[in-house]
Amino acid sequence: MTSVLKNYSVILPLAALVLAFWFSPDLQEVAAGVAIFLFGILMLQDGFKRLGGGNLERVLGAATRSTPRALAFGLVSSTLVQSSSLVSVLTISFLSAGLISLIGAIGIVFGANLGTTTGTWLVAGLGLKVDIAAYAMPMIAFAVVLVFQKARPVRGFGYVLAGAGFLFLGIFYMKDGFEAFRDGLDLTRYALPGILGLLVYTALGAAATVILQSSHATMVLVITALAAGQITYENAIALAVGANIGTTVTAIIGAVGANVQGKRLALAHLLFNLVTAAVALILVAPLTALVDVVAQIVGIAAEDYALKLAVFQTIFNTLGVILMLPLTRRLVTFLERYLPEPEPDVSRPRYLNAAIDDYPETLERALRQEVSHLYDNAVKLVLHGLNLHRETVFAASDLAAAVRRSRSPIDLDIGDEYERRVKTLYAAIVDFATRAARHRESAPKLVARIDALRDLAGGLVRSVKSVKHIRKNVLRYTTCDAGTATELYDALRTEVAQVVVAIRNLDREEPDERSTLCLDQEAARLAAASGKRGLRVGALIREGKLDPTAATSFLNDASYAEAAMAELLAAARAYFAEPDRAIAEVEGLFALDEEEIGATIGQASERAKHARPRPGPMPNCHNRRLASTGTKRRSDSDEIEETRREGGRISGPAGGGPRKQD
Amino acid sequence: MAEYQDRLAAGHASKIEPEHVERVLEKLRRKEADLRARLASDPVDAECEDLQHKLKVAREHIERAEWLRRELA
Repeated sequence: MTSVLKNYSVILPLAALVLAFWFSPDLQEVAAGVAIFLFGILMLQDGFKRLGGGNLERVLGAATRSTPRALAFGLVSSTLVQSSSLVSVLTISFLSAGLISLIGAIGIVFGANLGTTTGTWLVAGLGLKVDIAAYAMPMIAFAVVLVFQKARPVRGFGYVLAGAGFLFLGIFYMKDGFEAFRDGLDLTRYALPGILGLLVYTALGAAATVILQSSHATMVLVITALAAGQITYENAIALAVGANIGTTVTAIIGAVGANVQGKRLALAHLLFNLVTAAVALILVAPLTALVDVVAQIVGIAAEDYALKLAVFQTIFNTLGVILMLPLTRRLVTFLERYLPEPEPDVSRPRYLNAAIDDYPETLERALRQEVSHLYDNAVKLVLHGLNLHRETVFAASDLAAAVRRSRSPIDLDIGDEYERRVKTLYAAIVDFATRAARHRESAPKLVARIDALRDLAGGLVRSVKSVKHIRKNVLRYTTCDAGTATELYDALRTEVAQVVVAIRNLDREEPDERSTLCLDQEAARLAAASGKRGLRVGALIREGKLDPTAATSFLNDASYAEAAMAELLAAARAYFAEPDRAIAEVEGLFALDEEEIGATIGQASERAKHARPRPGPMPNCHNRRLASTGTKRRSDSDEIEETRREGGRISGPAGGGPRKQD
Repeated sequence: MAEYQDRLAAGHASKIEPEHVERVLEKLRRKEADLRARLASDPVDAECEDLQHKLKVAREHIERAEWLRRELA
């Protein structure tokens, strides 16, 4: 069905153009003018993207701190790129990625509606009165020289100049086309007076904007037709109102792939523009009278309908903002009630979307949030795999006692949950990071940070894989009191829970207070516990309280748990790494490696397995341990990583691990 | 430190100023004070042992920070 619609969306406009050109060859120049104008908008947008680099994201963050700022940002950005639709679609993308608030996004959209009127002023005030084609030609010629330069900002400026040049050229052809058109056909014969005319031309304006995907293009078309006397002033007013409604379609289409926040914004945009249009249509007579008064005050000639149309568009959009702005909070409440947050689908990425691929700084922020989402899923599975609930662990004042009390088996298919909650997210993260790698040349440090986030996500995946291996024995020994074995497993569970709590505490600290060096303290605690565990198991075997087979099984499980803890700690170190690069260097110099941790707490270095790895690839304790026994292990994360390097798709079952000794 | 100097010379590392060390040192001292307070609150044996290990690591970090501060002075 979708493919059929897609085919029709190409075939129908082409067929309509062929028919229109057949019946009216003069229309070709108008259509070419529209095409050149739209091409100019595309170039202008591309140019600003290149010029902006990472600045847009920073500006966006600052812009949404208050509603007036958001409003001003929407106004300025849509004025610069000459498209409120583009600003709305980008705002939906950033909102969906969790980078801005809904109320800030609504402010931007309101501002963008005001900004789009500047285009009408430009065309009505300048485009019709000056021979803009005379400016367009040299602009395009200069732009081509700049576009072929290597420096990104110069190239960006070239695209902006070319975009503006093509906009001017498009306006010239539209104007010229309508002049020629006037000799062959008088469209004013189809002018409709009264309310019927108002409604029909409003619908036509909306339809034209849906087709052109730009209210600005519609308005240029309307102004040039109005200037050529092809439509009446009253009908032009209705077309302008319709264009305001039609422009919401682009945002609605953009919201289809967005999350509920994006959909809320698209609905807010639609409601705002519908209310504004309704007010404009109801108050069309007093508004037109007001336009006459304003025109007289600012010195616009009574017969200059193009400029009066610009005044009308500005007045009714400003009126819409004045009416809706005080209702913004109520609008947000309504949207949240009408479009409630769906039950979160933990298996789907929440913050990664292709729309932000072109904005490097935003990529990193979105990826950090997604990695945090993966961490939540991974920790939940790690704890559930150990028959522990997060609420119990986080609320416990005596963690060991809370773990001892946790005897009810948690109903969990860890393999299925791993596939659903962890592997799918990791695949999305790898895919996203791979796409981000195309910025390696322009932003190498940023891409390195993105790679580090991807790698720490791999560590989280491996931590869950480790716990998968011990789930069977955890169920066997922790759901009832099996004596010594239960005590050993409870101690192991407590250690993992302590690591999770330590990372949570780190997360809850103020960024200025936070230091990942405190994770060295956790590593030291784990190294000491690991040493004690080995000694205790040895003593239990000698005392006959633990048979060697059970002891081997436990030690095997303990090493999986240690690996999981090491991965969690390494992930936390990478995630909470100090953003100030100089301070990060200082912390890097103070950090202790595994031998140093062992020496500090007075232990043999080989027991200090949890110490911080030196800068380099993420530690994979599984591989390190298994390499020593000559076994090569292939995990899902390895498989995904390998596929990523090959640039292929991730599919098929997980790679087999070693057969675990039970 | 030598590895850091190499990276700094190659332009791959940010220059460390004394105030950077001071900021980290302040955080480390606060952490150490927190560990001391928890040790003083008479914890159970297992926790006491954990806290002692953590305290040793915290002191090691502080020693390193003080050394670096002297080096940069």
